[in-house]
Amino acid sequence: MNPSRTTRLAKVLALTSSIALLAAGCSSGESKDAVQPASAENPVTLAVTTFGTQGLDPLYKKYEQENPGVTIEATNIDTGGNALTDWKTKQAAGAGLPDVQAVEEGWLGQVMTVSDSFTDLNEYGAGEISGDWVDWKVKQATDANGRTIGYGTDIGPMGLCFNSKLFKDAGLPSDRDKVAELFGGDDATWEDFFSVGEDYVKKSGKAFYDQSGFVWNAMVNQLDEGYYRTDGTLNIDSNTELRQRWDQLSAAASKGLSSGQTQWDWGKGQAFVDGSFAVMPCPGWMLGNVKGQVEGAGGDAKDGWDFADVFPGGPANWGGAFLTVPSTSKHPAEAAKLAQYLTSATSQAISFEEAGAFPSNLEAQKSKAVTGENELTKFFNGAPIGEILGHRAEGVKAQFKGAEDSVIQEQVFGPATIAIDQGTDGEAAWNSALSTLQELDIK
Amino acid sequence: MSTTTPMSRPKPAAEKPSTPTAEKLEESKGERAMRRRHLRGRLDFKYSPYLYISPFFILFALVGLFPLIYTFVVSINDWDLLGGAGDWVGLDNYKAELASPLFWNSLFNTFSIFLLSAIPQLVVATFIAAMLDQNIRAKTFWRMSVLVPYVVTPVAVTLIFSTAFDEKYGLINNLLGALNLDAIAWKTEVFPSHMAIATMVNWRWTGYNALILLAAMQAVPRELHESAAIDGAGAIRRFFSITLPSIRPTMIFVIITATIGGLQIFTEPKLFNPSSSVPGGPDRQYQTTVLYLWDLAFNRGDFGRASAVAWILFLIIIVIGVINFLISGTIASSSEQKKLRRAVNRADKRARNRFASLQTGSAKDE
Repeated sequence: MNPSRTTRLAKVLALTSSIALLAAGCSSGESKDAVQPASAENPVTLAVTTFGTQGLDPLYKKYEQENPGVTIEATNIDTGGNALTDWKTKQAAGAGLPDVQAVEEGWLGQVMTVSDSFTDLNEYGAGEISGDWVDWKVKQATDANGRTIGYGTDIGPMGLCFNSKLFKDAGLPSDRDKVAELFGGDDATWEDFFSVGEDYVKKSGKAFYDQSGFVWNAMVNQLDEGYYRTDGTLNIDSNTELRQRWDQLSAAASKGLSSGQTQWDWGKGQAFVDGSFAVMPCPGWMLGNVKGQVEGAGGDAKDGWDFADVFPGGPANWGGAFLTVPSTSKHPAEAAKLAQYLTSATSQAISFEEAGAFPSNLEAQKSKAVTGENELTKFFNGAPIGEILGHRAEGVKAQFKGAEDSVIQEQVFGPATIAIDQGTDGEAAWNSALSTLQELDIK
Repeated sequence: MSTTTPMSRPKPAAEKPSTPTAEKLEESKGERAMRRRHLRGRLDFKYSPYLYISPFFILFALVGLFPLIYTFVVSINDWDLLGGAGDWVGLDNYKAELASPLFWNSLFNTFSIFLLSAIPQLVVATFIAAMLDQNIRAKTFWRMSVLVPYVVTPVAVTLIFSTAFDEKYGLINNLLGALNLDAIAWKTEVFPSHMAIATMVNWRWTGYNALILLAAMQAVPRELHESAAIDGAGAIRRFFSITLPSIRPTMIFVIITATIGGLQIFTEPKLFNPSSSVPGGPDRQYQTTVLYLWDLAFNRGDFGRASAVAWILFLIIIVIGVINFLISGTIASSSEQKKLRRAVNRADKRARNRFASLQTGSAKDE
């Protein structure tokens, strides 16, 4: 054998063996952590994926300080939609999921179809503390086999945002308690809502609400059964309640109540300050959105936005998130502990101060941080937002969400609500929604 | 390599302490080694080129061929994104897609946007390239500035344009309003939305194509232009009879890349109205095929049908590529170019002769 070949062979051998050693070193390090609790001697890194503004950032640091050995690697994805795509691809690939994954109520239906790929938090003590949260929130994250897969973070109880200036100009009451009465107080119905709207349109010559999509969303969410029956079968074609509400909404749109704004865009906030519309259904998290839109368009508290303790058709919830622990997590006990911490009363109060996410934790709902004054209350003409939202959260029922719920909401009825805003007849829009349902092959 | 290093030469057998038999053995060993080396040299010569080009093919097999085949496997199954592989369904996904009005709608949108962008883009790019090919001042400045739009990320471009094209508050509709014209529904009507998206594509790619075409134009021999000019051909005539035919191969390259890019368009329609719950417009007015595929896979979770769409799109691109190839084969044949060059040379010679005869003629006349 010649020497040059020998050295080459030696090099190759050295390289492969060092790679093998490296790989062995990595794997032996990981298996140890799984059983022991985290400590300074046994450090654990937990990956957390959230989306939007959930106000958890200050909590991570606190948790790391209180739990030596734990390092949190937080990823925040800009929108719920993008977070859904991120979760879905990783779930499908079976790899890459974090230890704690935030899940949005809107796509909980899809998550529930694979609920067995999440850790049952009851194994880590979720059962004993389930009374800390509003009951329907816990129910939402519990599957048919009784496995609770998520701790509730925020919820989206709905009230009405209204513009007191525009109401005044139209000769309607502008004080928030009087406005609540105008809409029917505790017995507010959609009929009341639309008749006030017609009145407003007649008097002001302007549109009443921003666009029909959000109104429809609220109307569907507060039904006992929405697009699906509780047994998981599709419930649209023969759903008379749904159809009735659709007719109500399309009639209102045809009378010019809708301003036909682009959802989530509102002309980059312009429509909030130029008087294009006067009311909007507002879940708690929307309040921060309204403030942001108004400020983005150069407005401020003087533009007259206010928040009334009333909602047509009874209590309704829109949105809110859960913290889950995917079963791929190598440290399920540590992850569950962290998720529990992040959703505790004190943490949720901090999240509310940080991002306006209204707590699902009952104790947090009553805390000073939530009921007291903050930037949002100042913007909404001093409205006691925390108290109102707490009141609006009472009586909400968890509606069963089917696997394709979000697809139906967005792709079937999304275009239909835009169509009625643009003057399409309600009957025609309903029929086209049904044919879209068929085209999309949803069963 | 090892065959040429002196180190590898076998040591002379005589140096070894040896018995006759051992010597013999050593000799034959040396012979064998020699033969082995010859063989190695031959193998080296024959096969190492393949080894050197293999990284591309290995990479291609990993990131190109494997996904392609895997996509096909997915497409013949009832594959749910979350549920994973389901039943084998054969070509049912393809049948369902070919019968789906949504698929055909996306294909129509793709071709509409592609034609609306590719044609004006290439015409304008050629014009700009021709202008840059002239003797203008501050050449580099102009050349760099046509490339600027290409450097801007498509996301930023789309954000700016989607704001400008906003229906209620956008710049363009405001301008139209100032001129007492009706506002155009840029985001909700089929044709206007295609126009708006094509504008974004054109803005970004025209300069890029112009620079490629300019490079080709610069390679056209100046003598051709000069002699044609002497022959009395004007700038426009020269452009159509010399510049355009000479840059045909480049033109075809640009057309093919524009076609592939056009059929894969995704970012612009996706971000044109980012808040739209249905990607590509509420009624899918500008949902292109790739966007439809994405919607199928990630919103509706139907991986099987999304894969079928991917394969159909792949086949369409191949068909278009073949058509392009056939067309380019006929129009870009080198014989044509040679013919052209010969014709120009002839004209050149004629011109020179005439010039010469004019000179000598006039000299004789005197």
